[in-house]
Amino acid sequence: MATSLIGTVVDDVVLTVERGKVLEMARATRAEDPVHTDPAAAQGAGFAEQVATATHVVTAGHLRDQLAYVRALGLVRERIVVGEVAWDFTRPLVVGDTVRGTRTVVGDETKPGKRGGSMRIITLQTAYRDATGGLVVRQTESIIEREVPA
Amino acid sequence: MSRGRVPAGAVPPPRTIGPLTQTDVVRFAGAGGDFNPLHHDPEVAAQAGFDRPIAMGQLTAGLAAAWLTDWCGVEHLRALRVRFVAPLLIGDVVVLSASLATDQSDRAGLSHLDLVASVGERPVLLGWCTIAST
Repeated sequence: MATSLIGTVVDDVVLTVERGKVLEMARATRAEDPVHTDPAAAQGAGFAEQVATATHVVTAGHLRDQLAYVRALGLVRERIVVGEVAWDFTRPLVVGDTVRGTRTVVGDETKPGKRGGSMRIITLQTAYRDATGGLVVRQTESIIEREVPA
Repeated sequence: MSRGRVPAGAVPPPRTIGPLTQTDVVRFAGAGGDFNPLHHDPEVAAQAGFDRPIAMGQLTAGLAAAWLTDWCGVEHLRALRVRFVAPLLIGDVVVLSASLATDQSDRAGLSHLDLVASVGERPVLLGWCTIAST
């Protein structure tokens, strides 16, 4: 039985919402609302600036070392898959926002697998907070380490 | 001025995307920073048991989120949860659709939807969301 990882801090990122990156994510995810691509449209809709798409914090991938975190948690890269992702939104991110996200293990469960072995489900949570400390978005990811057949 | 909310009980019309190209996947890799070769290197995909590269789950999630927020307004999306149930492959055509969740009981002004992204009859993503509505 592996030691529980709950409480382990996985990584810490400071993410600034850049205009070009908002545009790239909007195109990559087929977002059509002009608030993501046109500052005037964003202002017309009541925003201070061009608005990021809902899942923009995925761009923290550029700031993270995904292999290092897998190693740090003692998981086997070839056996892990992302099972679920959830976001809880307080407000949309806009160009010029800087948020800090600390990713922490909040769940670590081992369950019987279908093939007689076991599977492990690690839940990671990142609370992205702005300069005032206010929560902007919380992302929760469930990582499954697939069973080794018994 | 701020934008209005969608009516309680409404659901977005389905959106069809694809066939998904390798360029779509590479574009998302560059945007998001996920350079796992499973998503762009056919040899690595083959070693993992796929006959062609697969999309990142976060790409499918991003397509679903953008489809939703194009309809309800990004400022009105309160929560989104997605489960990846099957791989989305290069060449697949994916259809995003929603239905009103059975349980709407908590607060007025919030709507709960069930979401699915499917390739033909095969679901690749199941989702749940909460949006601010009238």
